Amino acid sequence: MSLLDYDFMQRALIAALLTGLAAPAVGTYLVQRRLALMGDGIGHVALTGVAVGLLTGWAPVWTSVVVAVAGALAIETVRAHGRASADVALAMLFYGGIAGGVLLTGLAGSTAATLNTYLFGSITTVSAADLWVVAILAVVVVVLAVGLAPQLFAVCQDEEFAKVNGLPVRLYSALIAVMAAVTVTVAMRTVGLLLVSALMVVPVATAQQLTRGFRTTFTLALILGVVPSLSGVVFSYYVNVAPGAGIVVLALAGFVVAWPLGTVVRRWRQRRRPPAPADDPRVTGVHVPTEVHPHQHDEQCGHPAVEHDDHTDYLHDGHLHAAHGRHYDEH
Amino acid sequence: MTTVVDIRRLRVDLDERTVLHDVDLRVDEGEVVCLLGANGSGKSTLVRAAVGLVPAAAGEISLFGRSLRTFRDFSRLGYVPQRANAASGVPATVREVVTSGRLARRRVFRPLTRADRAAVDDAIALVGLRDRAGDPVSSLSGGQQQRTLIARAAAAEPDMLVLDEPNAGVDQRSQEAFARALRTFVASGRTLLLVLHDMGPLASLVDRGVVLDNGRVVHDGALATAPATVAPGGVPDHHDDEHETGMFG
Repeated sequence: MSLLDYDFMQRALIAALLTGLAAPAVGTYLVQRRLALMGDGIGHVALTGVAVGLLTGWAPVWTSVVVAVAGALAIETVRAHGRASADVALAMLFYGGIAGGVLLTGLAGSTAATLNTYLFGSITTVSAADLWVVAILAVVVVVLAVGLAPQLFAVCQDEEFAKVNGLPVRLYSALIAVMAAVTVTVAMRTVGLLLVSALMVVPVATAQQLTRGFRTTFTLALILGVVPSLSGVVFSYYVNVAPGAGIVVLALAGFVVAWPLGTVVRRWRQRRRPPAPADDPRVTGVHVPTEVHPHQHDEQCGHPAVEHDDHTDYLHDGHLHAAHGRHYDEH
Repeated sequence: MTTVVDIRRLRVDLDERTVLHDVDLRVDEGEVVCLLGANGSGKSTLVRAAVGLVPAAAGEISLFGRSLRTFRDFSRLGYVPQRANAASGVPATVREVVTSGRLARRRVFRPLTRADRAAVDDAIALVGLRDRAGDPVSSLSGGQQQRTLIARAAAAEPDMLVLDEPNAGVDQRSQEAFARALRTFVASGRTLLLVLHDMGPLASLVDRGVVLDNGRVVHDGALATAPATVAPGGVPDHHDDEHETGMFG
């Protein structure tokens, strides 16, 4: 009997696929913003959400979404205000999340074993109802991460520039925080709350050993998130170990392989770089005659004239032309 | 002639300390205005207030004839922040960073148009980085990174560029490169507002200097010092070359 014949394995693999896509998609923006540990913090806070579910009997998926989103927005608010005490405030939020989670779980009469299935994932506990929630949330996160990529990239790259460009920076920052919170909940059953941050960060760190641009890093990180997620769940089927551990160890193994490989690739690219830059007169100031010029520039030619030190340049098609003897120079 | 920047009786407080007192600044279309002053004189704060990054405690700021509070024509304004590290936690190519300059003209969930691509190509060519367009920004020198940021601002095809200390910590060659790029920009009748510590190769461009001291304007007008001085080993001047073949000769 193959592992795919079990319903629980089918559900676990679908959940792993979605988690493997959503976590690095959000993680790329978090890493770009140098907020790599934000996922970790949200994971801690989400634990209280799970415990609220266990205590009240409501579905832990939903209670953890609500609490994680609230926690993520709190973290984002503290970050955006950039107060000196932010560091300590965030640390307290994280401790509160874990302690609150353990406390409420105890009150609910649940065991540490139950809590463990949320902390490190568990392939046998993804119910059909859970899977629908996870699928919808993960698809929304991935669609937003791809569709709003130009805006989110700009906000994470240079917040002030984005603001001057009229982008609603606070809204997009809050959106990233909410997407991260939702992803934590999506990942809860697969990698678990304590290790979800690794799946957000490690594939991105691995990808950028080999890539030069944002788009390629993003794409490669998604692939590097899916492969360990699926493999980790399969591993967990054969060896009785929480899937989260297997997924993260595999993702880290990818990094260990990519690191030396990246060094070799970078050296190779360096050697291949063309040595001399093009003779753009605007850069080098060298003498570049224009191509044969159809007319003589003067006040009537229609090209804007510009005084340049001791002579006049004419703006022509984005270039400045200056009379030089009997031809024009590019200036 | 229209007024592009009109700032009246501006007061700015940062951390409960007043850093600008009753500052007036007008920049007309096509002008190249340079803000000068010592460190801490408030010149950077003044441009940051002008583009809306620092709130005004009192006074009025308008851009292109509209109050900053209702100004929405963001693509007319190109901003080059001071010493911003063009690199972030994830690699980004020069082209990707410059493309983000088009956002004021783009709508969400829409791909790049042909006009967007053409503007990005032109902006990269303007600063002379065409051969580095696919390279990660983090692999460039400080000067090349600054040129990338200028290209990003220019990609929006703005009517005014605001540059905050573009020369700070930038090699001579890059300073000359963007002096040339900016001259091309100004040549098309557009406006330039610069914050400079040291004018360097940009001196010949500047029409008017506004000098700040301790948060107040102490000089507004032509600059007294001869602007044409160029550092030794500066702009290579090829107008002296005697070897003249002549293309039509």
